Amino acid sequence: MSESERLRDGPNLDKEDVVLRVDGLRKAFGGLVATDDASFAVERGKITGLIGPNGAGKSTIFNLVSGFYEPDAGTVTVNGVDVTGAEPHAVAEEGLIRTFQTPRKLEGMTVREAMLVGPQRQPGESFVKLFTSPDAVAEAETANIEDAQRMLEQFEIDHLATQPATDLSGGQMKLVELARAMLAEPELLMLDEPVAGVNPTLANKLREHIARLNEEGVTLCIIEHDMEFIMNLADPIIVLDQGSVLVEGSPAAVRADDRVIDAYLGGGGE
Amino acid sequence: MSVAVRERFGGLTRAEQGAVGFVVLLAALLFLGLLTGGLAPTYFLYLVGLVGMYVLLSFGLNVQWGYTGLINFSVAAFFGLGAYGTALLTAGNSPLGVEGSRLLGIIPLTIIGLLVAIVLAVVVAVAIGIPTLRLRADYLAIASLGLAEVVRLVFLNQRDWTNGSAGLRGIPGFFDGWPVLETFPEAMPGLRVEALELSIPGVFSTEILGFTLGTPFWQALLNVAFVLVLVGIVFAVLRRAHRSPWGRVMRTIRSDEDLAEALGKDTYAFKMQAFVLGSVIMALAGVFYAHLNLFVSPGDLEPINTFYVWIAVILGGSGSNRGAMFGGFVVIAIREGTRFLGELLPGALPTAGIPFTDLVVSFPTVIETTYTTVVNNFASTRLLAVGLLIVLVMRFRPQGMLPPQRELIWPRSVAESAGPGETNPRETIEEEATATAHAADASAGVGDDGQTAGDATDAEPAGDDSTPDASGPDDGTADGSEDAPDEGGGRNE
Repeated sequence: MSESERLRDGPNLDKEDVVLRVDGLRKAFGGLVATDDASFAVERGKITGLIGPNGAGKSTIFNLVSGFYEPDAGTVTVNGVDVTGAEPHAVAEEGLIRTFQTPRKLEGMTVREAMLVGPQRQPGESFVKLFTSPDAVAEAETANIEDAQRMLEQFEIDHLATQPATDLSGGQMKLVELARAMLAEPELLMLDEPVAGVNPTLANKLREHIARLNEEGVTLCIIEHDMEFIMNLADPIIVLDQGSVLVEGSPAAVRADDRVIDAYLGGGGE
Repeated sequence: MSVAVRERFGGLTRAEQGAVGFVVLLAALLFLGLLTGGLAPTYFLYLVGLVGMYVLLSFGLNVQWGYTGLINFSVAAFFGLGAYGTALLTAGNSPLGVEGSRLLGIIPLTIIGLLVAIVLAVVVAVAIGIPTLRLRADYLAIASLGLAEVVRLVFLNQRDWTNGSAGLRGIPGFFDGWPVLETFPEAMPGLRVEALELSIPGVFSTEILGFTLGTPFWQALLNVAFVLVLVGIVFAVLRRAHRSPWGRVMRTIRSDEDLAEALGKDTYAFKMQAFVLGSVIMALAGVFYAHLNLFVSPGDLEPINTFYVWIAVILGGSGSNRGAMFGGFVVIAIREGTRFLGELLPGALPTAGIPFTDLVVSFPTVIETTYTTVVNNFASTRLLAVGLLIVLVMRFRPQGMLPPQRELIWPRSVAESAGPGETNPRETIEEEATATAHAADASAGVGDDGQTAGDATDAEPAGDDSTPDASGPDDGTADGSEDAPDEGGGRNE
């Protein structure tokens, strides 16, 4: 504990079992440098929080890591595999699953159907196998339906299974998204502002679920604006400012640091 | 038996009942036409063939647009590639034609023609897909609009290969060169159905039936059998694919491509599969058309045909195979039905004299001239009718007549799993949810869980699930949304 109480200038890259390593990542949109030489590492089994004032480059880093943007420079390594500049689905295949800040709605599907998009490498996703090995497809589908149902039960939303996926409230959608991401059996789950626009009651519930997942061994990396939420959940916390890592440390240490306070006050306060 | 029938129809939603009713009514009218001799049996079979062709085209577009959200404006081009693919090989006056009706004396040439058509469609679909499918949907729309014209103009101007605007004639029937089936129409005996006189003495008397079923009839019957086989095979394949994980990925891409990517689905590969599959189905329709019409020309590739197919898919309900079938049926009903209507209506509005006076009542000139124009140009007014129909559908039922209404999971897997059973048609769920929500409104008015009441979420009008923003307030669960699935799921268990 005393080790993590300390605060480091810049990132702590000296971790033992690293799932995600980002090195010297840079991305500019025209003249605006959104991410500038950002480096950090996410250790297996932990919840790593990524915070920073508006415009610090959090979402850009998320998109760079998950393959939605192509970096101008730098590397991204997931589980020792270099995925720099790879397509998002290729990054996901390496075990990095992300969620979105605004929940994505799947039109015309029930919640259960929307959940079933999660599992990776389904035999039924091959058009040919539908007709050459229908039994294997049906078996996998049955197993996936049961997994989905179990996952919905864990998240206490199994009563929604056969509801249209578009009829959910914002908070329920966040839960469904989290549950679906879990069906993909991620090595690393990256959540983009999981409690944005969610009421405090449900935010608490979400925190409990995330903590539970972490206890079950899931590694998480979370961007969040809600300080209360992230400080009670993540350790370590990485603070971004102007596109690169300012400090990294335990929540208490980060909270007490003057530079962090300066960055936030300069950027508009929190 | 009757119980089974009642159960079958009791399980249909109102939209399904309506569609079934419409089809039955039209079929009854056609049957009446057949009986009274107003409709020649051979022509009737030709109409059935056309419906089959449009159903195939709609299936093809439905795979691309309905499942995957790909906007393809070159339906007519892929249809044309199919028609020309087989016609170039088999037509009597084709510059690239092959002599005889069999290749190497064994394989019927039409089979090779079918394969050529499929290969042509695959090659062109892949060629147009490679540059556009990585981009946003709009680029494919624009590129396909151009492609349609390019293909048409190539067939029109490449005279050395295609005969240009003169077209290809002398195409054999599809079963030319096949054992047995080749001579089937000639071998069948000509049937004479004698006229029957129906009369109620002193009241009325009419003759029904009275036609001959000769070689053309059997030929047409063979064509219909061919298109039914094609439609049957394609429907079986699509039904399987639509309800599978494959189809689910397609529907995810249609709703949100980024989400599909984030969940590890190679959307480019999936979109390519859907595009190629849809294009091949359109080419099949083209092959059938060439052997039905026995003549193809660049005029068959006019863009209007593309839009008829779009109308069929939108009208039927995007993403629904049955909707595509229904849409194809309706489009042909309008296209061919307007012909009859034009002949039936009087050429000018009648004027009526008022009895015992010299006064003559006539409609205002504007109405009279409009009426005359419309009736005398019914073929052209058809487009207006189709346009109006689309406006009405979009206004009152934007999701189409028969949108997908059941959960699209392979039923066997649902039944074998421990989860809730197969769900009822969506419309029923929503109607129940709305009803329950209203009941909750009346009694409590506030949702449980100590959250804000979110009744608006559930009180959305039924059938609105295709509008992208049918969401309610941010949080809160109404009683209705929690009760409905239990009822819905429990019923079939």
